[in-house]
Amino acid sequence: MLAESENPTQLPPATAKALALWEILSVTVSCLIAEWVVLSFVARSKVVTAIPILLALGLMLFSHRERGETVRDVGFRVDNFVATCRLLFLPTIAAVLLTIAVGWYMHHSIFPAPFRLRFISLPLWALFQQYALNGFINRRAQLAFGKGSTSVALVAVVFSLLHLPNPLLAIVTMFAGLIWAAVYQRQPNLFALALSHTLASITLALSLPPSLLNNLRVGFKYFG
Amino acid sequence: MRTPSTTLIHVLVGKSIVETLLVGALAVFTFITMLPPFFHGWGEVRDTGISGWVVNNAAPWERVEVQLFVDGEFVAARAANESRPDVLAAGWSRDEWHGYTFALTQLSLGSHEARVYALHDSAGGLRKTLQLLGDPIRFSVAQGGKLKLPNR
Repeated sequence: MLAESENPTQLPPATAKALALWEILSVTVSCLIAEWVVLSFVARSKVVTAIPILLALGLMLFSHRERGETVRDVGFRVDNFVATCRLLFLPTIAAVLLTIAVGWYMHHSIFPAPFRLRFISLPLWALFQQYALNGFINRRAQLAFGKGSTSVALVAVVFSLLHLPNPLLAIVTMFAGLIWAAVYQRQPNLFALALSHTLASITLALSLPPSLLNNLRVGFKYFG
Repeated sequence: MRTPSTTLIHVLVGKSIVETLLVGALAVFTFITMLPPFFHGWGEVRDTGISGWVVNNAAPWERVEVQLFVDGEFVAARAANESRPDVLAAGWSRDEWHGYTFALTQLSLGSHEARVYALHDSAGGLRKTLQLLGDPIRFSVAQGGKLKLPNR
């Protein structure tokens, strides 16, 4: 007979751990379907493109609810914003300066690429990516492997995988993913991560020739 | 953090099923859009070239564009709009203007293989696909440039 506090639908801890990995896989597969399948088949239909994204978003929100995670737990908070910015300052500045230096070496000018209107929406896009990457995948990776190098590496590999087959972006996102995941595990703040993400992305897009980055295209669009 | 209930597993399974159906539906939709099974046609060897006919059953009044490849190399493209009353009489088309002829005068002596493809536009002309019409046509070029079927 079950004790009063036990819930017959509760999972044993080992299964819950495997479940966390399944959740990561499921969200990753949704992103890959959007990038590789939907865009290659029906690139002009925004409704169809939205289906895998909405499925992934729905799963993430449901999972937070199931696990009792609050918005604050996930990293939508301001109390540790400055502390997170401190952690991110050096790696972000280093990445920005390195990118500018590479751009200058190739073009002998700073920010040779044109500013595009779509950059204005980049902070929101960066926040969404950081939410999925760290607010969800990193948290599930920590459930499976605990805090530390294994879960950080898993987050970075997933982030890099989602930027294939763009070779330069895959390498850059691997390193960026390692830094952001490690910082999130110390200070979970998605706004600071999105700020770092935005600065790095804009610098990359403005400094390096579009031909080298193939206009930041990933998935099937990379070939188009 | 709470341990989740089995409902989360159900949601994950459901999501996987929906995604599988989505990918499957997209694959079928794309196949039918890009490689529609509506083209019918045939090609044969004539003394001076390859001729044949092609009809798009989904648009029977349309003149289909065909491309000729010989030994894997592109040779020529044209619209299939020549008179073929025999095709109309056989019930393959609604009118007789579905024939094509490619003259072949520059080929070396010996055996060759021709393939005639129907060119199909999809996604508003963004994508173009080729569909083989009939079977590959094997032929040889004799002295004087006359085309023959092999072993004749």
